[in-house]
Amino acid sequence: MLEQILSMVFTTSFGYSIIRITSPILFAALAAVVAEKAGVTNIGLEGIMMISALFGVLFAYWTSYWWVGVIGAMVVGVILALIIGIFALKLKTDIILAGIAINLVGSGGTIFLLYLFTGLKGNTASLTTPSMLTPKLNIPILESIPVIGPIFSGHSILTYVAFLLVFLVWVLLYKTALGLQIRAVGENSHAADSVGVSVLKIQYIALGISGALSGLGGAYMSMYYSQSWNTGIVAGRGFIALAAQAMGQGEPLGSMFASLLFGFASALGNKMEGMQGFSSFLVAAVPYAVTIIGLVLYASTQVRRVKKSRFMEKGKKEAEKS
Amino acid sequence: MADNEYVVQMKGITKVYPNGIAANQGVDFNVKKGEIHALMGENGAGKSTLMKMLFGLEQPTEGTITVNGEEVSLTSPTVAISKGIGMVHQHFMLVPNLTVAENIVLGMEPKKNNLFMDYKKAVEITEEYAKKYNLQVDPDAKVRDIPVGMKQKVEILKALVRGAKILILDEPTAVLTTQETEELFKELIHLKEQGYTMVFISHKLHEIKQITDRLTIMRGGKSMGVYNTADISKEEISRLMVGRDVILTVEKEQAQPTDVVLRVRDLEYTNEWKKKMINHMSFDVRKGEILGIAGVEGNGQRELVDMLFNLNMPDSGVAKVNGHNILGESQRKIRDLGVSLIPEDRMTFGMAGAASIEENLISDRCAQKRYNNGPLFNMKKIHEDSDKLIEEYKVLCKNRTQKVGMLSGGNIQKVVVAREFSAEPVLIIADQPTRGIDVGATEFIRKKLVELSREGAAVLLVSADLNEVMELSDSLIIMYNGQIAAYFEDTKDLTDTVMGEYMLGLKQQSPEEVRRVQHGE
Amino acid sequence: MGNKRMMRFEILRGCAAIFIAIAVAFIFILICADDPLNALYCLLVRPVFNNGALNISSIYMILARMTPIIFTGLAVCVMFSANQFNLAGEGTVMAGGFVAGLVGIYVPLAAGLHPVVCILVGAAVGGALMLIPAWAKVKLNASEMVCSLMLNYVILYVVMHFLSNVFADRSQGSVQTYPYLETARVGKLIAGTELTWGFLVAIAATVLVAFFMFRTRWGYAIRMIGINESFSKYSGMKVGGIIVVSQVIGGVLSGMGGAIEVLGRYNAFLWKDLPGYGWTGITVAILAKNNPIAIPFAALFISYLNRGCELMSIYAGVPAEMIDIIQAVIFLFFAAEQFMAKTRQKMVVKEAKEELAKKTEPAAEGGNA
Repeated sequence: MLEQILSMVFTTSFGYSIIRITSPILFAALAAVVAEKAGVTNIGLEGIMMISALFGVLFAYWTSYWWVGVIGAMVVGVILALIIGIFALKLKTDIILAGIAINLVGSGGTIFLLYLFTGLKGNTASLTTPSMLTPKLNIPILESIPVIGPIFSGHSILTYVAFLLVFLVWVLLYKTALGLQIRAVGENSHAADSVGVSVLKIQYIALGISGALSGLGGAYMSMYYSQSWNTGIVAGRGFIALAAQAMGQGEPLGSMFASLLFGFASALGNKMEGMQGFSSFLVAAVPYAVTIIGLVLYASTQVRRVKKSRFMEKGKKEAEKS
Repeated sequence: MADNEYVVQMKGITKVYPNGIAANQGVDFNVKKGEIHALMGENGAGKSTLMKMLFGLEQPTEGTITVNGEEVSLTSPTVAISKGIGMVHQHFMLVPNLTVAENIVLGMEPKKNNLFMDYKKAVEITEEYAKKYNLQVDPDAKVRDIPVGMKQKVEILKALVRGAKILILDEPTAVLTTQETEELFKELIHLKEQGYTMVFISHKLHEIKQITDRLTIMRGGKSMGVYNTADISKEEISRLMVGRDVILTVEKEQAQPTDVVLRVRDLEYTNEWKKKMINHMSFDVRKGEILGIAGVEGNGQRELVDMLFNLNMPDSGVAKVNGHNILGESQRKIRDLGVSLIPEDRMTFGMAGAASIEENLISDRCAQKRYNNGPLFNMKKIHEDSDKLIEEYKVLCKNRTQKVGMLSGGNIQKVVVAREFSAEPVLIIADQPTRGIDVGATEFIRKKLVELSREGAAVLLVSADLNEVMELSDSLIIMYNGQIAAYFEDTKDLTDTVMGEYMLGLKQQSPEEVRRVQHGE
Repeated sequence: MGNKRMMRFEILRGCAAIFIAIAVAFIFILICADDPLNALYCLLVRPVFNNGALNISSIYMILARMTPIIFTGLAVCVMFSANQFNLAGEGTVMAGGFVAGLVGIYVPLAAGLHPVVCILVGAAVGGALMLIPAWAKVKLNASEMVCSLMLNYVILYVVMHFLSNVFADRSQGSVQTYPYLETARVGKLIAGTELTWGFLVAIAATVLVAFFMFRTRWGYAIRMIGINESFSKYSGMKVGGIIVVSQVIGGVLSGMGGAIEVLGRYNAFLWKDLPGYGWTGITVAILAKNNPIAIPFAALFISYLNRGCELMSIYAGVPAEMIDIIQAVIFLFFAAEQFMAKTRQKMVVKEAKEELAKKTEPAAEGGNA
């Protein structure tokens, strides 16, 4: 059986599906990275993805342009993130609770919003036609390289954006003035405040960016991955992104690898689903379980580091001896 | 006097915090151009609050602020900076993971193409100012890796780069070595010669005498007057500042110390920045005596107390209470051995602000039989004892259900003390027990401390307040640089001057003299 | 500020939050209902009154639907009191319900005993599952929030696996288990309604949790840890253990809620998605300000709105999911500390001035004895 699995893993289509599955999580993980760097935990990613996924489809439907849908999803993402911001930063709602509220809107509220904007009832919206989905991109030279080509070419344009964004977010955080201020605010807001950096403004901006990024993630889900909108479309990817951020130590590159890990687990699950003796449900649980295990493993290495530096064990033993 | 003589005028400043504490009451404060003006007062006198308002971190409830003859509303640090005011905070306002240059340009970053940060330029700016004002720093080093003295320079540079002409220095020497302090003073005088105005917050007399032109003394949130530094004696400043005439000396009988309760041997501690904070410390505290630990803050006192209550682990060493180890033991175990702690940071460790007075009073004993009937609390007993403690410790409150966070500082501390003292301790560790609280509460707590020691408790009193350690201690350790600089078996004939010399590292007793603090073994 | 004045302010603020939410709902209704007045009538009045008479069946339904959210509300209340943002209420409701259901199907027991055993098993399952995020938090300092969120999905899919691949009743059109044994059903409190004995158990649980939180040393420790963990540690409390206990109690309560709901409302286990009670429980706990005594009232309120939205969807064509948006709005404003802060500040300053005036006379009372 192991052989069977291995033979499946070492195929180009498997590589392709890892990237395909990783993309939306990567968007959201980067969103979590930017927010967390500024010292705000955006647990509303899940809800933002849900709602922007819906609006992505709606905007594309209204205008017949896929790119309007994508931009619309981003704008909706920004607005929602700023709503979290207003409540968390100005009105001092606990940011976790503010995020949960947005998730509430995302879970059932979207069905109502769908009705509000279109008069349609039900939990799916198949408004899109293939022409309104984000286009696939075949990369000219890459495409023709064996093995590499089939894995990396032919993805949604948004996939390339997602991986490009890993670099761009890094540049933003480490090579721009705004990034410096974001990092300063997140690490020591008093210090930033004392030199006239508006902590609130920076946190709003970071939340806004995080909203835009998760909006893209939402658009990817409804306008490419699922090819339409339904209530189960995001299925905890926003939450997984939070875990990816934590595992990636809050850095863009690290979070990308953590997202890929999830993508791998998920793709493996999808492959195994077809095999006899594997339950599709158990397989679906794998990525989430992997995330928990990854989180725990990562946390345990952290704990060990802290312990070492504090001479915990050593001190205690010596105290016992004497 | 013509008004334009002053660069800063604060008139009738009153500040009431949301929890109802009035930190400033009708304070007037003026600073002349080009002077170093000392703002003096004990911890909690309201100096920091006043300066926070001048820097826009807090807004006055009442009163006006005039800067360069123009009445201003300093709603944020940004506004204050734009008026030429800079502040060097007591607790550095630096971001550890950014470099020195990044910290200095934060908020006013030089840019390339309007988008990217020009880091090279940031380094250049840092170097330029460092040279001009003779403040040597390493622009590329991460702030978390540089020594304290350099951090201070980074703070001053930050203000200067932003065009500050008026610098507020909040206890700048508190964390510095003597050498670093001397260096700082040279730099400050250099700045003064270039026309800068400075407000120097401190409670160290010799520093004030050495460097300032005029001084304003604060006490209990009020101004006690403005003086030319040259015209006022140290004694007079001291009298105005600490108000000896208000605090009566605490009457106490001669101590009759008996057995050793707390035994500390060869304690060593290196902090996370690899600085040796405690160096081979050994001492004993005996039943029935108050052993004071005096010293300028930051000489290892906090670390010592943290380790005795397992809020931190030492590198090595021994600490025992009546023969039982306490290092690395749980707080429960330490408390069960009869140790009580009045923590220095009472807001973090001493209380739960959103809980009631009663709930704060039972935190260490909530599992005791006395307060439980099987699985349930014995509310009657809890109410009874809480009311008794509130009465005995004269906690000024509506009733036992009032939230502790709503009380004044003095009353909060009385709640902490009531709990710790009523636990029938064999050893009381009192860390800055009266810092920042009103005179009435201070005197009350001090009397209680003496009372308990005479009833047979061992007391380890750690205090930066000279008055307090000298008045209360039966014998006294002076800590300097993580070591015992001196031990005095009797505090009666001690003078400020002698203590000052040891506290500031001018003198050091011989190892034999210091060893007298180890009683037996 | 004095406790009483604080209380008055909190009530005022809560009413304002509810008012805003209803206003938001009204705007939505205006936009999308053909007959806004009728929709509003359905939302606000019809759950209890219809055609000039008490709407008895609807009232029973409101009460019945309170049951699970009282449990999850209590669970969240205990966990949030310890400052633990454990969000696995969703998953533990499902797991508790599912396992309790299995016991109800496959373990024949005496009539009176059967549901009790089922519910206890459900509670145990919920509690055991919560050990995972609790352990990771206490031992490894891993975020209980992220961990619990992932746990929800793991539970969902594992339950779905057993439901559809192992315990499914193939004779049914939809995926569900075999029916529960008659002995296992949680009996109706009033025949012909949805209201079961579970409702009374929920009320009893409320009283128990309230006693636990305010009258026992463990509940006290949970609350103190939530307010100030450093203080609790310094006071000698076993912080790690108490944090675990708080989350396990959360799991026990939601597992119990799931079991009662599953055995009381349905004939067989047929949930194919996370039921949503966990999230609603958070809303309920927020509305109740983490006070167990207030949980049933908050649950009543949410249940009432829920029923209102349901009626609105039946009789006025407005989708019932509007409840989620109303909930979110109430939730946001309720949890907003600075909402109406200016009013509070005015009250504080006024009181401080009064106090100051009082103090200046008998200053000696401060303790200068």
